[in-house]
Amino acid sequence: MALNISMDVNNGVAKIVLEGEVDASVSDKFKEAVEKAARQKPNRLVMFMDKLTFMASAGLRILIFAKQKMGADVNIYVIGASGPVLNTLKMSGFDRSVYVQASYVD
Amino acid sequence: MLTKKNSLVVPGTLESLSALRQYTMDACTTAGLTKDQAYGLSLAIDEIATNIMVHGYGKNGLTGNISIVAEITDENVTLVMEDTSPEFDARKLAVPPAESLKKPLEERPIGGLGVYLTLQNVDRFDYQRIGGVNRNSFIIKRAKK
Repeated sequence: MALNISMDVNNGVAKIVLEGEVDASVSDKFKEAVEKAARQKPNRLVMFMDKLTFMASAGLRILIFAKQKMGADVNIYVIGASGPVLNTLKMSGFDRSVYVQASYVD
Repeated sequence: MLTKKNSLVVPGTLESLSALRQYTMDACTTAGLTKDQAYGLSLAIDEIATNIMVHGYGKNGLTGNISIVAEITDENVTLVMEDTSPEFDARKLAVPPAESLKKPLEERPIGGLGVYLTLQNVDRFDYQRIGGVNRNSFIIKRAKK
C-alpha cells in the first residue's frame, strides 16, 4: 500500500494526516510535508496516524527531523497510532518526546 | 518438518520494499505467527533491505538483486535474504545506547534506529559472507503447541 498524505496549517497548528505505509521509498514525501508545514512556522504539529499500517525507521527519522526543523518549543502530537506502529514508537522511546493521544480536539 | 516457500527475487531498489514485506507477511501467515510477530519480522526485513538498497548498492554506484526465502520448521521461521553488494555485517553497526532512547528528539541523531528495530523484533539475526554474497538470516521462534 502506498502512502497518502495531506497537510494543512491553520491558526498556528500544522496537521499532517498519514494513511498507508511509511518506508524509505516514500519517506521523502513525508519529509516534504513536514518541510512545507515548517515554512509556515506553526506552534504545534499534529500527526494523525490512525490509518497508518506500517512505519519503518525511515518514518521515525522524519519525526526527529520535524522536531529539529521546527524547534524544541513546537510540541508534536501523534494521534490514533495503534498496534505495532504504536509499539515501534514506544520501543524507540519516542513516546517520551511526543504527545501520544487516542484523539485530538482543536 | 521443513516447509520451504518459493523464493522471491527483486531488484535492490527501494521500490521493492513492499514486495519483500508482502512475501514476509505471507510466510508468517503460513507459519501461523501472531500479527505482532509478523509485523516485527516484516519491519526487520524492511530495515536491513533498506540498508542494502541505499548503502550496499546505491551509495556504491552498484545495481543488483535481493533474494528472500522462508523456511518454516516446527521450531522456527527463518527468512534468509541475500544480495551481492559489498560485504557488510549490519550487526557491527552501533545501536543507540539505552540513554540515547530516552533523549528528547531535538537531541537525537537522525539515524541509527534501523538495526536497533531489527534486533528488537527477531529472536536471532545472523550474517554470513559466502563467496560474493551477503546472507542475512532472521529467525523467529514459533510458539509451542
